[in-house]
Amino acid sequence: MSVKILTKHFGIKDSHKINVYMKNGGYKQAEKALKEMKPEEILEEVKKSNLRGRGGAGFPTGLKWSFVPKDTGKPVYLCVNSDESEPGTFKDRHILEKDPHMLIEGIIITSYTIGANEAYIYIRGEYYPQAIRLQEAIEEAYQKGFLGENIFGTGYKLDLKIYRGAGAYICGEETALLESIEGKKGKPRLKPPFPAAVGLYDCPTVINNVETIADIPTIVEKGGEWFASLGPERNGGTKLFAVSGHVNKPGVYEHEMGYPLMKLINEDAGGILDGLKLKAVIPGGSSVPILRAEECDINLDYDSVMKAGSMLGSGAVIVMSEKTCMVKALSRLIHFYKDESCGQCTPCREGTGWMLKIINRIIAGKGRKEDVDTLYYIAKGIMGHTVCPLGDAAAMPVISFINKFRDEFEYYAINKKSMVE
Amino acid sequence: MSIEISENLRKKIEEIKNKFPTGKSPILPLLHAFQDELGYISLEVEEEIANIVGVSPVYVREVSTFYSMFNNQPVGKYHIQVCGNITCWLRGYDEIVEYIKKKLGIDIGETTSDGKFTLSRVECLGMCDHAPVMQINGDFYGDLTFEKIDEILDSLE
Amino acid sequence: MGEKIKITINGKELLATPGKTILQVAEENGIEIPHYCYHPGLPVAGNCRMCLVEVEGARKLQTACSTKISDGMVVRTNTPQVRETVKQVLEFLLINHPLDCPVCDQAGECGLQDYYMVYGQYDPKFIENKNKKSKKATPIGKYVMLDQERCILCARCVRFTRFITKTEELGIFNRGDHSELDVYPGKELNNRYTGNLVDICPVGALTCRDFRFQCRVWYLEEFDSICPGCSRGCNIKIYYNPHRPHKAEGKRVLRFKPRPNLKVNRYWMCDDGRYGYKFIDENRIMYPLLKENGKQSEIYYDEALKKFADYLKENIPDRVIYLLSANSTNEELYVTKKFFVENYELENIFLPAEDIFTGDKDDLLITEDKHPNTNGVKAIFNILYKDFIKLDELREMIERKSISLLIVNRHELLDEVLEYVRENNVKLVYLGTNFNKTAKVADLVIPISVFAEKEGSFINVDKLFQMFTSRLEPLGVSVPEWVLFNNLSEILEYPLSYSSYKTVLKQMISEVVGFKNIDLNNFDKYGEMVEL
Ligand SMILES: Cc1cc2nc3c(=O)[nH]c(=O)nc-3n(C[C@H](O)[C@H](O)[C@H](O)COP(=O)(O)O)c2cc1C
Ligand code: SF4
Ligand code: SF4
Ligand code: FES
Repeated sequence: MSVKILTKHFGIKDSHKINVYMKNGGYKQAEKALKEMKPEEILEEVKKSNLRGRGGAGFPTGLKWSFVPKDTGKPVYLCVNSDESEPGTFKDRHILEKDPHMLIEGIIITSYTIGANEAYIYIRGEYYPQAIRLQEAIEEAYQKGFLGENIFGTGYKLDLKIYRGAGAYICGEETALLESIEGKKGKPRLKPPFPAAVGLYDCPTVINNVETIADIPTIVEKGGEWFASLGPERNGGTKLFAVSGHVNKPGVYEHEMGYPLMKLINEDAGGILDGLKLKAVIPGGSSVPILRAEECDINLDYDSVMKAGSMLGSGAVIVMSEKTCMVKALSRLIHFYKDESCGQCTPCREGTGWMLKIINRIIAGKGRKEDVDTLYYIAKGIMGHTVCPLGDAAAMPVISFINKFRDEFEYYAINKKSMVE
Repeated sequence: MSIEISENLRKKIEEIKNKFPTGKSPILPLLHAFQDELGYISLEVEEEIANIVGVSPVYVREVSTFYSMFNNQPVGKYHIQVCGNITCWLRGYDEIVEYIKKKLGIDIGETTSDGKFTLSRVECLGMCDHAPVMQINGDFYGDLTFEKIDEILDSLE
Repeated sequence: MGEKIKITINGKELLATPGKTILQVAEENGIEIPHYCYHPGLPVAGNCRMCLVEVEGARKLQTACSTKISDGMVVRTNTPQVRETVKQVLEFLLINHPLDCPVCDQAGECGLQDYYMVYGQYDPKFIENKNKKSKKATPIGKYVMLDQERCILCARCVRFTRFITKTEELGIFNRGDHSELDVYPGKELNNRYTGNLVDICPVGALTCRDFRFQCRVWYLEEFDSICPGCSRGCNIKIYYNPHRPHKAEGKRVLRFKPRPNLKVNRYWMCDDGRYGYKFIDENRIMYPLLKENGKQSEIYYDEALKKFADYLKENIPDRVIYLLSANSTNEELYVTKKFFVENYELENIFLPAEDIFTGDKDDLLITEDKHPNTNGVKAIFNILYKDFIKLDELREMIERKSISLLIVNRHELLDEVLEYVRENNVKLVYLGTNFNKTAKVADLVIPISVFAEKEGSFINVDKLFQMFTSRLEPLGVSVPEWVLFNNLSEILEYPLSYSSYKTVLKQMISEVVGFKNIDLNNFDKYGEMVEL
C-alpha cells in the first residue's frame, strides 16, 4: 500500500469543503508554520525533503525559494501554476476539484516562507467549473481567517487571487504566465533576469506548480526527511501519475517516486485496452521523448526516466497500443505545438508550421521519402534555438518518434498509407 | 459606436478594477466578463476595454486575438469545443467529430444556420481521463459515445 | 568610464565596458554578428534568433543581442555549429516570405537578401504552400505601406511605436505562424515619426510610399548633412541620383534618412523634416530677376550684382533694412555681418521672430523653431530673442525710419508690408532659394543655393555646432551667400577677399567669441558645444 499525500482525501464526501478538510486535520500545518516556525526553518525542511517541482522541469523547490532576494524593498509574489495544458496532463485538476484547501494551505505556508503577502493562482481558462470551486474554497478560507489580515493572530497577512487564463498552453511557461497576469499576450520573457529577482510587476516572484504546493503542508507536518525517504535519492515524496490513452482505467494514481511504469500501466490502469499489446509510452506529457514498449521497464522518478532517454515531466503517462499509427499520433502533437507557439521567435513559429504541413501532406498520401529527413532536420533546427522551452518541447517528440519509428514514417511517405492501420 | 453595458457587467467591471489594480492586469478578466455577457469580442468591446484600462486598443486586440478562448467573431448559442489532441484522438476523436459534423450539418469552424451551435476543434482540455471529451460553454462532457452526444446535444434548448 | 573587462571573441582578446552585450562589443570591434530584431535605439527583444553565438560554458547557443558580457568570457561567432544555425534560422524566416525580390522595393537594402548572400545559400527544402496574410501592400499611414507577407515579425516597429513615440499604433495580432503585424482595424499610423518605421524594418514589409519604386537604391549616392527643418538639427544622409540631369526638372534628391547621433537625434528624424526634402529641387530660383515696368525678367548674374551694388550706393545705410534668415549657415551669417555691419555700417539688421515660434513641438525631436540656425544668428550677431523684430511691426518701422531699401533673405512678408512697399516706392531686394509671394513682387531677386548644395554649419537648439558637407552642384547661377557678399564687396570696393569656404570658416572660428572652444583640427563629428 503506497503512502498517500495528495489523494488522501479523494474518497471522502465533500472533500472540497473547508469543514471536511479541517475535520481531517486541515490548516493545522499552516497554523503550526506561522506560529511556531521561522521562514528559514520551513525552507530548511523543504530543502531536506528533496521535493522537486511537479510542473515538468523537476527543479528543486527549496533551492528555487532560496533565490528570492531579501530586503529589496519590493513586494514578493507567489504565483501558482495551474495552467495544466500539457497534453495528457490532468493531475492538478483533481487537486482543484477534490482538495482545493490542501492547495490553499500550501499557498499560505509557501507565501509565509518566501515573504509574500500576495499570491495568485493562474488557472487555465477552460477550467471554469474548477475555478468556481477554487473561488468558493478561497472565500471559505477568508471567512475562517486563514487568508486576509492577521492570519492565526500572527500579524501575517496574505491575499490570494485567481487569475484566469484564456486558452494558451504557453502561459504555463512561467514567464509567459507572468506576462499573462500582467494582462498581456503570453510571450515568454528572455532570461536572465529570472523571476525570482524580476518577476510579476518586476518584483521577486516564485512560481510553483499546484502539486508542488499541495505537498508543502505534509512536509511541514512530517518533516523533510520523512518526505525524502519516500523516493529514491534526490527524488522525494509521492507523485501523481495521470495515465491516459489505450488503458482500461485512465486516471490519476498517486505513488512514491520510483514506482515502476509497467506496474502503473498494468495494475493501476488495468492494462491495455482490448487486451492489445503495448506499443509505446510517452512518460511525462506530450513534450518528452517517446519510449518503445521494450524501453518501458523503468521506474518513474526524474533520474531513472532521464536515464532511459526521456523525462518524467508532468508525470502524464500516455499509453499507445499496437494499433496506433505513429505518423498520425505525431501529427496530433505537431498540430498542438503549431497551434500553441506564441509566435515570437523564428524557429518555433516557422518550424512548427512547416513540420505540420509536411506531416499532413504525408498523411494525405502526398509524401516523399525525403520528408522524414526534412522533419528531422526542422526539429533539430528548432531544438535549443528558441526563447523558451516550447521549441524544444515541439522538437523532442519529432526527433524521438522518428528515431524510434522511422520505418513507419518512411513507409507512410513512400506507400501513401499507414503501416499499422 | 459605444456599446450598451448592463448593470451586472458594470458591477463586474468595478470588481475587476478593484481586484487587479495594477497596470494592464484587468485586460484578461475584462475580456472574459465582456465575452460572458456579449458572446464575443467585437472591436467596440476592445475599444471600451482600452478606455477602461487606459491603454491603446492595440494592446487589447493583441490579447484578444492571442488567446484562443476569446472569440473575435460571434459564435452560436452553444459553442461545442471538441478536443482533438493526442489522448482524445487515441480514444476516438475522429469518429466523434465526424458524428457531430454530420449531426449538425456543419464543419469545424462553422455555425449552424439557426445560430444555435458552433463547432470547434480545440487542444487538450486536461480531461484525458475521460477522453474523448468536449466542452460546451464551460461545461465538460467526457467518455463520449454517439449515444451520449445525442443525449447532450438534444437536451440543449 | 570605469574598469574594462576582458572578453575573447573568435580568439581575439578585447577590452570592453561591463554592462554591454556581446553584440555591442562585437560591433565596436568590427566583428559582424547577423541580427534582425536588435536595434540599438530600441529595447532588446531577442526574438529573431539570428544572433546566436557560442559562449564557452553555456549549454546552448546564446543570443548575442541579449547576453551581457562578463570577465573572461569566450565567444565564438564562426564555428560550424553557429554557421549552420544561422543558416537554418534564415531558412525559417524565408519559408513564408515571397521570393520575388525583383519586384520588391526593399531590394538592395534588404536584411534578408544581404544575409542570404553571406549566411544562407542553402538547398531549399520548403515545398509547401506559403501562409496567406491579410494585407498585401496596403497603406497604413500617410507615408507608410505595409506588406505583411514580407514581415519577419521582428517587432522593431512595434517597439518603436511603444517605446519611442509612445503612440502604440502597431501590434502583432494572433499568434504562432499566423501572427500578423498590423495597425488597429480602421486606424492609421498617427505619429510624426513614421518614416523611421521604414528605416528600421529590416525587410520590405514597411516601405515608404513617398519613395516606393521611384528609383532602385543602387543608383543612389549619398552624403551627410543636417536637416534644416527645425532647430533640432537632426543628422541626416541625403540620397540623390547622380545619373539624372541636374537641372531643376530632373529631381536629384530622392530622400532623407537619419544618421545616428546620440547627442542630437539618436537614430531618428521626424516626418516633416524627412519629407521636407522636395524644396531642394522644386520651385527653385535659378536666375536673377529684375523688375522693370512692373514685370520681372531674367538678367545676368553680374548685372544683378551691379544692380544690387547700385541700390546700396543710392540709399544711405540709415534708410536700409536687412532681414536676416535663420536658415543661413554660420559662415554665411558671418560674411553677412562683415559686409553689412562692419563695411556698409548698416544698423537696421534684424531677425524677424514670428515664424520662429509656432508652438508646434514635442518631447522627442520636433522643436518650435522651424529654422536650423537661430542660435547661429544669436552667436554671430550677438543678439537676443527679445531683439528679434516681429513682421507685423515691420510696416511701422519702415514708415518711422523712412526706409527706402528693404533687403529680405528668404522671408515671406505680410501683405500689408508688400502693399506699403509698393505704394511708397521702397526698393525690395529678395535673396532666396525658392519662390514665394515676396520673391514674385521684388524689384531684384538674387538666387542663393540651398543647404544641400554647400558646405556649412548650424548651431542647434542645444547650442551644438554641427558641420555639414555637400555633393550637389548649386542650381542655376545660385551661390552660397558668403560668395554673393564676397563678390558684392569687390564691386563696392571694399573687398573681403575670401578665397574659399575654409578661409571663412577659419576666420569665423577665431573671431566669434562663443566659438573659442572649437578646434577645427580636432572637431567631434557629432558636434561641439558653443557659448551664446
Ligand atoms: C511550454 C511550457 C508549458 C508549461 N506548462 C506548465 C503547466 O501547465 N503547469 C505547470 O505547473 N508548469 C508548466 N510549465 C513549467 C513552468 O514553466 C514552471 O517550470 C513550473 O510551473 C515551475 O513550478 P515547479 O517548480 O513547481 O514545477 C511549462 C513550461 C513550458 C516551457
Ligand atoms: S513590419 Fe518590419 S519592423 Fe515590423 S515586425 Fe515586420 S519585419 Fe519587423
Ligand atoms: S526634428 Fe527638426 S531637425 Fe529633426 S528631422 Fe524633424 S524637422 Fe528636421
Ligand atoms: S538580434 Fe538577437 S535575437 Fe534578434
